[in-house]
Amino acid sequence: MKALNICILFVLLVYGFKVNAQLKASDVRSFTLKNGMKFLVMEDNSIPNANMYLFFKVGSRNEHNGITGISHFFEHMMFNGAKKYGHNQLDRVEEFNGGTNNAYTTENITAYTDWFPASKLGLLFDIESDRMANLAFDTAIIESERGVVHSEWRTDFENSPWEPIGEAVTAAAFEQHPYHWPVLGYETDILHWKKSDLEKYFKTYYAPNNCVAVITGNVTFAEVERLAKQYMEPIPAQPPPPLVHNVEPRQNGERRVMVQRNVTTPYLMISYHVPATRDSDYYALDVLNQVLSNGHSSRLYASLVDQQQLATDVSTGMAYSFDPFTFNIYAQCSDSIKATYLEKAIYLELDKIKKDGITENELQKVKNTKLMNFYSQVETINGKSGTIGDYEVFFGGYKKMFDAPAEYNKVTVADVQRVANKYFRKSNRTVGILQTNVED
Amino acid sequence: MKKNIKSISIFLLFVTTICSASGQNKPRYQLPNFDKVQLANGLVIYFMEKHDVPIISLDAIVPAGAVNDGEQAGLASLTGTCLKCGTKSFTKKEIEERFDFLGADLHTYGSNDNAGLSTKFAAKDKDKLLPMIKEMLVNPVFSEEDFDKEKKLTLIGLDQAKESPGAVIGAYWNKFFYGKNIYGNVVSGTVSSLTPLNANDARNFYTKYYNPAGSAITIVGDFKTGDMKAILTKLFSEWKKTSPVARAVYHAEAVPGNARILLVNKDDALETTLYIGGAGITRNNPDYLAVQVINTFFGDKFTSWMNNELRIKSGLTYGAGSYFDYNQKTGSFIISTHTANATTKATIDKALEVINRLHTQAIDEETLSSAKNYMIGMSPPQYQSTDQLAGLLIRMFWYGFDASYINNFEVNVNAVTVVKADQIIAKYFPKNNLQFVLIGKASEIKPVAEKYGTVTLVELKDDIGKGF
Repeated sequence: MKALNICILFVLLVYGFKVNAQLKASDVRSFTLKNGMKFLVMEDNSIPNANMYLFFKVGSRNEHNGITGISHFFEHMMFNGAKKYGHNQLDRVEEFNGGTNNAYTTENITAYTDWFPASKLGLLFDIESDRMANLAFDTAIIESERGVVHSEWRTDFENSPWEPIGEAVTAAAFEQHPYHWPVLGYETDILHWKKSDLEKYFKTYYAPNNCVAVITGNVTFAEVERLAKQYMEPIPAQPPPPLVHNVEPRQNGERRVMVQRNVTTPYLMISYHVPATRDSDYYALDVLNQVLSNGHSSRLYASLVDQQQLATDVSTGMAYSFDPFTFNIYAQCSDSIKATYLEKAIYLELDKIKKDGITENELQKVKNTKLMNFYSQVETINGKSGTIGDYEVFFGGYKKMFDAPAEYNKVTVADVQRVANKYFRKSNRTVGILQTNVED
Repeated sequence: MKKNIKSISIFLLFVTTICSASGQNKPRYQLPNFDKVQLANGLVIYFMEKHDVPIISLDAIVPAGAVNDGEQAGLASLTGTCLKCGTKSFTKKEIEERFDFLGADLHTYGSNDNAGLSTKFAAKDKDKLLPMIKEMLVNPVFSEEDFDKEKKLTLIGLDQAKESPGAVIGAYWNKFFYGKNIYGNVVSGTVSSLTPLNANDARNFYTKYYNPAGSAITIVGDFKTGDMKAILTKLFSEWKKTSPVARAVYHAEAVPGNARILLVNKDDALETTLYIGGAGITRNNPDYLAVQVINTFFGDKFTSWMNNELRIKSGLTYGAGSYFDYNQKTGSFIISTHTANATTKATIDKALEVINRLHTQAIDEETLSSAKNYMIGMSPPQYQSTDQLAGLLIRMFWYGFDASYINNFEVNVNAVTVVKADQIIAKYFPKNNLQFVLIGKASEIKPVAEKYGTVTLVELKDDIGKGF
């Protein structure tokens, strides 16, 4: 998941017009319980609903060989019963009370999302504290859920060629860091996790001091604080989880991987190592990301899809991460176009930016786009909680959300050219091609 | 013992909820006010002010969908897509650059029975974008170069889409279920139907079916209704009303007299992707909401009977659900899931068992209450953003319902009793002569498929519709 947001202050700086939806840092109120669990609260009475997003700082980067994918499996197990709300009861009770939930796992975090009528806030605290304090590990349920996760893994592979090529490229790009394996894990690990692995994982990572909660909706700060103290504060803190000490060594040469799959035309993925989200180069890289592929007038789409007709689609992306990760370029070849030919055409476009930079017009376009993205996010209570949580977890604090406009305003065309030259180097990239014939 | 105590505590929780819900007289959510005008050319425009965020969403809908394609499957879709490919006043490049520069979203499309446009932009940019939006709907040019580019992308896209069975099973279902009915037209087209199409076909299609009469625009966001009425009236009065044309006529599809299975062979399939279903309802059916209540506990929410049996209790699949897929004139009921090749039979058997249970087991108050509470609780978040509200107003126009659907939602949902539930199930939920579409490895699952009815085997690489 990737959210691209900036704050309303940005509008005032860039455009100087009046904004009705004033969202400022002081609208987000925060407290931390004695056990270390942090809460961020935003009151919003636009609809009679609220949400609760819990961000646990655990993902596939915290795994090791033999238990790959266990963070994601654990996400499933969090819905399979605790002390008070047994198997299937969490969902049943939540739905009976007009609510629902979901969750997702990435390389870095596991997030749990509850949506419910605001009057049920107390019930949600009861449910969430129950599973955080007293999760159950029933052997039969673990086996059943293993089948569900195996099906999820299978359907991802069945329906998206990007899964196998993404895994192959990322595995080649990371030789030592645990970003090496996929979030869903290896199939053989999916089939062999043990109950004891889960129990150890729970105690280590599902501690209140490893969690940030974000609540937005028709609630009051005082009510949230009272309920948090009642339900969450009694859950004991745990020793901090072990640090992920692996640092991926600098890549010293292009890496290439080839994957066979029966596809209409070849798939191409190019990954460059880039710093973690908290790095000061993030904003210039994000501008570069937008200039390359956002919209049909973007550099790569206009050139490769529209003008030269070498690709049927092209996109770029840079996911939030705790550790240095990758800037990815994805493209699908047009009819009768070889992947290596499309690849060269992409490098020509990158070289233009490395040599001549981007235009002031392109820079302004990115700022406009970010403003619209921000507007769309703050239209809904769910957009607000998701964005606040992302900034809190990945950028070093939710207040960074309100610093973002200044950060983007600082980016110059020269900065974008500098990061393009710094990271888009041949020796820093991993290239993957997925196609039907891999024998020639 | 412990189990009983747990059940009691859960039961008390339910009782508390029912009491508190019944104590609320005032509906929790009401649709904001909106205004509506009809221009002299017949175009209907809805206006809803929403000032919390300085943006505007606009949707347009035109009765120019694939039901009018005839032998030219894919033409409505391509015509809709190409609305943004240049107009009398603006080139494709100018449109793309202006929307992109302003950070605005733009989507044009042709769907099964309608076509249209959807956009979202900053309120301050309305004067820069509304004239372009008008041009796309009123004066598209369909140049040969741009049409051919889109056609080429669409043709490759047809094969690429088949790399994801989940992306194409719906098209197979529509063709298989609706047959020669106009809703059986393959919206995206096929290789053989798209290949001969040219820009002139799109121009003719546009001239024939893009008429302001029968079309609507909805606009929601940070504007003053009076000002916006003046702007849109001036812009869209330019859209000339054309003579009525003979539109494709809808004849009710034949009700299948036997269970049929369309098996789409994918040799390298890791799993079977499947639909099971039958006849559905239209959106304006007076029992629409009651049908949704039943479907909520049958196949919509996470703990629905279908997901409970196929996922939660058995681990056969990552997900199983059901829904009523409606069009303006007809609809179908679909159960959707996927499972490993080896568990295809177990999954289908379990799904059929759940259908049978729906028709034989009395619906209890708790099951019904859970579905109703869930629908009511989850309703307000669906109408928060400008694009959600613009979409709602478009659906009101197209499917013929009004604000009372939202404003009386809670009352009407709660009015579904267990007696009514049984009637609704018997009347609307297919039980016999079920239809199946399976995409999977035929060499492994054909013997399984044959247990459920007459099997028609086709190849995934062939055009949708070939051989059935």
